Amino acid sequence: MNETAAPPGSTAVDAAPLRVLVTKIGLDGHDRGSRLVAAFLRDAGHEVIYTPPWQQISDVVTLATQEDVDVIGVSSLATDHLIVPDLMAALTDADLGHVAVVVGGIVPEQELPPLLEAGVRAVFGPGSSREEIVEAVSAWGAEARTAKLTEGGFA
Amino acid sequence: MTGSPPSTVRAPNTAFDRLRAGEPAALARALSVLETGGAEAEALRRRLHAVVGSASVVGFTGPPGVGKSTLVNAYVEELRRRDRTVAVLAVDPSSPLTGGAILGDRTRMGQHTADPGVFVRSVASRGHVGGLALAVPAMLDAVDVAGFDHIVLETVGAGQSEVEISRFADTTVVVSAPGLGDDVQAIKAGILEVADVLVVNKSDLPNADQTADHLQSMLQLRDTERVPPVLRVSATERDGIAALVDAVVDAGRAIGGTGAGPQRRATELLRQVALAELERRLSAADLADLGAALHRGEISLAAATERLLLRTIRASGKDNDG
Amino acid sequence: MTATEHTQLTLPGFTAAKDRWEQAYDRQMDERTTIRNRSGIEVKPIYGPDDWDGTTYLDRLGFPGEAPYTRGIYPTMYRGRTWSQRQLIGLGTPEDYNERIRFLIDNGSTAISLLPCNSGFRGVDCDEVPFPLLGTCGTVVNSVDHMDAALAGVPLGDISTAMNDPTPFTLLAFVLGVAKRRGVPFDRITGTSNQSDYISHFVANHMFYRLSQPGSRRLLVDHVEFCRAAVPNWNPVSVVGQHMQQAGATPAETMGFTLSTAIQYAEDCMARGMDPDEILPRFTFFFDISISLFEEVAKFRAGRRIWARVARDRLGAKDPRSWRFKFHGQTSGVDLTAQQPLNNIARVATQAIAGIFGGLQSMHTDAYDEAITCPTEETARIAVATQNILREEAHLCDVIDPLGGSYYVETLTDQMEAEILAVMDTIDGAGGMYEAVGSGLVQTMIGRSALAAQNRIDAGEEKIVGVNCFQDDSDDLAPAPMRPDPDRMRRCVDDFIAFKAGRSQDEVDRRLASLRQAAQSEDENIFAQVVDAAEAGVTHGEIVTALRDELGFGHPLIVA
Repeated sequence: MNETAAPPGSTAVDAAPLRVLVTKIGLDGHDRGSRLVAAFLRDAGHEVIYTPPWQQISDVVTLATQEDVDVIGVSSLATDHLIVPDLMAALTDADLGHVAVVVGGIVPEQELPPLLEAGVRAVFGPGSSREEIVEAVSAWGAEARTAKLTEGGFA
Repeated sequence: MTGSPPSTVRAPNTAFDRLRAGEPAALARALSVLETGGAEAEALRRRLHAVVGSASVVGFTGPPGVGKSTLVNAYVEELRRRDRTVAVLAVDPSSPLTGGAILGDRTRMGQHTADPGVFVRSVASRGHVGGLALAVPAMLDAVDVAGFDHIVLETVGAGQSEVEISRFADTTVVVSAPGLGDDVQAIKAGILEVADVLVVNKSDLPNADQTADHLQSMLQLRDTERVPPVLRVSATERDGIAALVDAVVDAGRAIGGTGAGPQRRATELLRQVALAELERRLSAADLADLGAALHRGEISLAAATERLLLRTIRASGKDNDG
Repeated sequence: MTATEHTQLTLPGFTAAKDRWEQAYDRQMDERTTIRNRSGIEVKPIYGPDDWDGTTYLDRLGFPGEAPYTRGIYPTMYRGRTWSQRQLIGLGTPEDYNERIRFLIDNGSTAISLLPCNSGFRGVDCDEVPFPLLGTCGTVVNSVDHMDAALAGVPLGDISTAMNDPTPFTLLAFVLGVAKRRGVPFDRITGTSNQSDYISHFVANHMFYRLSQPGSRRLLVDHVEFCRAAVPNWNPVSVVGQHMQQAGATPAETMGFTLSTAIQYAEDCMARGMDPDEILPRFTFFFDISISLFEEVAKFRAGRRIWARVARDRLGAKDPRSWRFKFHGQTSGVDLTAQQPLNNIARVATQAIAGIFGGLQSMHTDAYDEAITCPTEETARIAVATQNILREEAHLCDVIDPLGGSYYVETLTDQMEAEILAVMDTIDGAGGMYEAVGSGLVQTMIGRSALAAQNRIDAGEEKIVGVNCFQDDSDDLAPAPMRPDPDRMRRCVDDFIAFKAGRSQDEVDRRLASLRQAAQSEDENIFAQVVDAAEAGVTHGEIVTALRDELGFGHPLIVA
């Protein structure tokens, strides 16, 4: 799915679980999807930081920063995907451009392009399988971590 | 705030500078590095030792279902009211099967997300005793170096590894609540031992007094001079929270005041690592040999123990020499 | 004597015949696979008089319109009057909504429903949320003026209005404000407070929650008490099983949770001194209808039977109207797929058949683009036509409870009843639904069922056409999503801001102070103050904010 070379760094880093923020922004409260995806990712060995629905975009930025996540999964079942481009802009402003953002839920075809143009890595529609989601999150997360590690460390 | 950058203003450039300047992103990265371990973590640990300050660390622990996260949320709120900055490390267990985890503590901390004076980090225990425990002291140092006044270390008081982690706190609050079924029994003796303050949360529930009485009577069995106070609070009603903060401050004074924290953590780390190492080095042959002698009544327990320790240390010496 | 023994006596040769069939069946089947329905009940290849022989007919079934109402709550059922077609509508500005319902009313509709914008569900006004989200999933109705515009030209006293209106029921308050302006007496206002079931909002579909659990509990009872005296033909309680099933509860769990919730509400009202026969006739229920056709039919038949006994024996209601289990059914959006969306027309028709055979009183059929967007006018038309076709062309209304007496359906109804009662026992054991939700028990049960269902789909045990079987890459025409006109919406927000600025602030403050005072007191009716504030121009967001301050903000217990 992605062609990135293996990340540099120690084996300890390679073996560490990915950190994934599973969240919902906007107004909708249907959380069956986000709960299921959180469980899938946990079962795949990732560390999931799970939030209730209705996060402000600024809150998602803070959470992503403090939790040092590799991936943000946004679940949108009503029309909350319409403000995902605003989230992408806020992440870039906060120097979190390396974090991979994926969207799950219902996004009409006609409204996909603005999301992808804003840098969303993948959109999972209804009926996406557990394997598809886990594989993509793992791949994008590994790439995001590589990008982060090239920034220079504490040693 | 402690651990602030030097007064000469210059653009912080290295990651460590940015950590010392209190940049949340740098602190977040440092915590990741430390919990993952490896060469970079070791280097960072040593750099932190050189500059660590004296933020006070309070541990919150207790069985699941007692409302710990809600209580920590209210506790943070009270500290903010007193104009203190706070960082929370919330430790939750990882799945022993997959190594993954769902960290949901933020669910109850939402009101502080927009507050730059509060930093919350969810930490997965990553499954193995010793693993996270090794990282925690340095993670606390990192938060200290980033300049927070108070650090809350929240753990589920369910297993041995969590008790070990809670020993890194300067003061420990053990949380209970009525209506847990075998309520007080859920508080393991090991946890009770490390308690500096006991809290009965959900004090509005009918059995709160009974739970408090049970705790009091269990404390009589404790073999220490200082009897910790038992406080009744209701985190959801914000009842008794100010008194809890005061009690934590008092307890901190009673055990030697703040400032001793980082050294205590280093000492405790050494103790835990040494114990684990001793366990690893015990020879099965020596154990079986001395166990059999004990069984046959040829030797007293004290003498067997003495001999086992001696043999283990001698053997280690040989290994090291050889 | 068991049913089987009885059958063998009256049907000589039955056992030999069945053995013969069984051998033939086994010869032709490679292996015996176990099939279970969504509620986990094993479904056999055939049912016969050895499963159900009708000897319990009078006790367990009886005739329609008679307890225990298994076959229907009215003697005439659809022969007398068919179900109401109540399509959920909500989009854009109040004016947009008005155009849509005027069109429906002109075409013979006698019942309308209003779905407010998600911002309303969150307890805020339209000037407090990201603009792109406004009106995309419901209509912006934040004030009595908005409601007046939404209902312009609608004869309020002659039409039943279902309001999707969680605590503190501001939409009904706005309707009453409009009625007062127009001189329509409150006793002519008919309809239902859908989404009054706050417990369901703490468990699932957290969309609607706004006030703390104890605060919501008090407000619901206040609301029932107020309506009983002042708006007597309004149904203040709609117990919503839909959210539970959509969140992943099995059909049997859903019915169990819903009935336990209804018991909780009834007991809360009775604790306030209300007589069960004063309130239960105005209790209604709201369910998802999944595509598991026979299971849904059995779910509804069993639910009716249990409610009749609960209302009579447990709650002590003496009036048969209290025993009737009146419900609205909505075809389930969970079964619809974004892949090959036109297939959803067939799914909705199948779900609707299940609802009709299940004996519902009113129905909403989903548009086929429900899984993708809010329905467009064209897709909504097809959804209504589906109901018309089933009623007029398929003759589904000719016979009452047409599946009654089916060996399978009667056996399954009994089995579902047992499952449902077991769920209700679990809830009773946890201290009732209010406690069970507070402790997270219900959330845990639902989470487990949702994961199990997803695992069955992932393993291919449960098939979904176009998703895990018969997939193809051909894209059906995906309808363009409906979005409100941004200029109209911008005007709506600007007008609202101007409206607020033009009010007498003293008056607003005075009404809000009375509302707060009612909330602080132990015995004042809060909803009466909501009505009072609403008619004076206090907005939805202002009312909710004041009550959140006083009664607490309700965080759902999320059990991951």
